[in-house]
Amino acid sequence: MLKKLLLLGAVSGLLAGILSLIYSKIYSHYLGVDFSTIASPVKMIASSVIGGLIAALGFALLHRMLGVRTDAVFNLIFTTLSFASILGPIATKLPLELQSPELFPWLVMPMHLFPVLGWLTLKPLFFPPKS
Amino acid sequence: MRILLLALYAATSWAIAPGYMVKWSTTGDAAGIFKGLAGNIEFDPANLATASFNVTIQTSTLNTGNGLMNTHAKSAEYLDVAKFPTISFTSNKVVKAGPGYQAIGSLTMHGVTKPLTMPFTFQQTGTGGTFHANFTVNRVQFGVGRSGDVDDNITIDLTVPVTKK
Repeated sequence: MLKKLLLLGAVSGLLAGILSLIYSKIYSHYLGVDFSTIASPVKMIASSVIGGLIAALGFALLHRMLGVRTDAVFNLIFTTLSFASILGPIATKLPLELQSPELFPWLVMPMHLFPVLGWLTLKPLFFPPKS
Repeated sequence: MRILLLALYAATSWAIAPGYMVKWSTTGDAAGIFKGLAGNIEFDPANLATASFNVTIQTSTLNTGNGLMNTHAKSAEYLDVAKFPTISFTSNKVVKAGPGYQAIGSLTMHGVTKPLTMPFTFQQTGTGGTFHANFTVNRVQFGVGRSGDVDDNITIDLTVPVTKK
């Protein structure tokens, strides 16, 4: 089960990273800002995949303790933590040479929700619900 | 003869070149830069009587690196950039002071004008040069914010490359 969970974490993280990349391209194109030195493609994909893998380990750990109730508790924790993490970009101080830092949180905050969305989207494919 | 005299007493005019840096800092977290520096600089180290500085900074160009802090600093509580779009310095005289110089004049910020002595150095390199100044301004005396929220004293660090006009 752990292998399957880690695969789900990696794939959902990769999906979140790709979504972040697409979103950042659209955002930069339409708002004319470039934060690629801070939110680089490599950082976006790596952090999403690492987030997915940590989520997988967390799920496995929680499953040992909670059994069948794991899904409900895990989804609640993952969503809450993802939502709480958007405070990070708001408090971030960018290098002074970067203009319009007020547009940075709006770029990164949605990205913080992509890993949980990826997980919730792909989990039924990896672990089909038992009817 | 008259032309010769005029040439002797004419000040050297300098244009502000790109790459200038107007940094401000406190002992705490609050720090940032301004862009939008413009003005007239007349300076000849050999003829300080003709030297003058008349420069302005656009307050809306303030950048702390954080959007929330920018909004706060530009708000009516601090710089009030909508009402006071510029900070300006005008010198009355320039004197030699140790290895550098002092521009004695007045600083206008937030609609308040106060006397300011700005120590600076100048390094000339061919047809260009760099002014460097470091001084402290008490923001509360200019009505910028209340005392205690952020350090009252703001350290200003200016590095201004110039080219001969």
